[in-house]
Amino acid sequence: MVIPKHILGTFDEALTSLRNDLLMMAGLAERSLDRALKGLFQRNDDLCTHAIADDEEIDQLEKQIDKDGFELLLRFQPVASDLRRVISAIKLSPNIERVGDQATNIAKRARKLNRHPPLPEVQMIVPIQAHAMSMFKDAINAYVRENIELAHSVCNRDKQLDDMNRDANTKLTLRMMEDSEQLRGYFNLILISRALERVGDHATNIAEDAVYTAVAEDIRHKTVAASA
Amino acid sequence: MMIAAPMPQPEVVEPRDRAAAVLLDTNGEPLPLAMEAKNVSMWYGSKRAIDDVSLDMAAKAVTAIIGPSGCGKSTFIRALNRMHELVPRARIEGSVFLHGQNLYASGMDPAVVRRRVGMVFQKSNPFPTMSIGENTIVGLRLNGVSDRKFLNERLEQSLRMAALWDEVKDDLHKSGTSLSGGQQQRLCIARALAVEPEVLLMDEPCSALDPIATAKIEELIHGLKTQYTIVIVTHNMQQAGRVSDFTAFFYMGRLIEVGSTTKIFTNPNEKQTEDYITGRFG
Repeated sequence: MVIPKHILGTFDEALTSLRNDLLMMAGLAERSLDRALKGLFQRNDDLCTHAIADDEEIDQLEKQIDKDGFELLLRFQPVASDLRRVISAIKLSPNIERVGDQATNIAKRARKLNRHPPLPEVQMIVPIQAHAMSMFKDAINAYVRENIELAHSVCNRDKQLDDMNRDANTKLTLRMMEDSEQLRGYFNLILISRALERVGDHATNIAEDAVYTAVAEDIRHKTVAASA
Repeated sequence: MMIAAPMPQPEVVEPRDRAAAVLLDTNGEPLPLAMEAKNVSMWYGSKRAIDDVSLDMAAKAVTAIIGPSGCGKSTFIRALNRMHELVPRARIEGSVFLHGQNLYASGMDPAVVRRRVGMVFQKSNPFPTMSIGENTIVGLRLNGVSDRKFLNERLEQSLRMAALWDEVKDDLHKSGTSLSGGQQQRLCIARALAVEPEVLLMDEPCSALDPIATAKIEELIHGLKTQYTIVIVTHNMQQAGRVSDFTAFFYMGRLIEVGSTTKIFTNPNEKQTEDYITGRFG
């Protein structure tokens, strides 16, 4: 979609800068999550360390987006689609920052797991991470392209992720009872699964904001009500 | 006490016979209308300034009219109290109803229309040879009111409604032009209110005022809408957002879109509206 430029060029520059920072932040969060999970699956501590290091830059970008968003509101008093874009950027950044936090959590748990012999149950995380990652990527894409169908599809996939996490939780709890030697390992896998389930929640929040940005419709809590 | 000669009483036409009311409250109920412009077109000589505009204005609410310079905003509100008739070669087609009465019906006195539909202009215009007190009640005097007690009561009431009484009560004898710009504008509002209009038209009333004087006028508008129907023309988007319940966007003499102010400023239906309010008009 081609959006005509504002008469005020500095307004366009400020909006573009805000959007670029948000996309940069999302890209870093995605990379951090990817590194953390590869660190888990490939038992690679270096990748985990990189994932943890990414978090600092993500945090700084969150603060930058808040600062730029407030300044944009103050200087240009945006309305209509511009206002929605600024408000959404301010609302999206904490969700992306929390995805970065979850990547750090996963990386830290992966490093702990890597100190011990490999657990075959790590494979239970593979479909969960694929589902969570695809939700996060699609949510960001839905926001960038203002694609409400894609955003709705992200929201609709959250329940499946919840179910996958619950299923993994049940199976890993059983394994904890059967094999108390690996208690900590199974516990770390439960927390990794939960972290991915939280990534799905943040992706859902982002997708809801993508719909608001595109068509000014507030779909929050409708998804839960409809699926209940 | 009657303040003027009895007004001609044209037939009241029920809204359902003209067109369905389109303005709804937050519960989706139709709002009572104070004014309705129906298929209004206007010309200055051969130049068409307004092109087939139909606009409903809800009673005891503020309707803001926005649009770029030359789009017909001021021309349109002048049609609402027949002020355009003072401009040579200006002519109008269509109808304007005030509480069901066609203001352009034969026999309707333009002076009476302008008393029922008051107007405040961009530049404050107190009569320079009159005191603050005389300025306030000049409309009543011109309508033949001479009862001193009544005039004094209305003087204080109007200045209080215009949030000016406390600032001028000890200086009522001073010239109206001795006041600051913001006070002069509130004096003009008091002058308009003194004749108890049903509708108050405001044509960019704050464009020459500083932010403090502007805030006082906006606060005044907020208070007045409990009693009056207000139609305000403004170039200031933020002002329209702050003071109005409904916003109408005009472009090149046409009404492009009207809706609740929240709707217009968050998600307008028309791309032209969006482009204008977001500053994308090239």
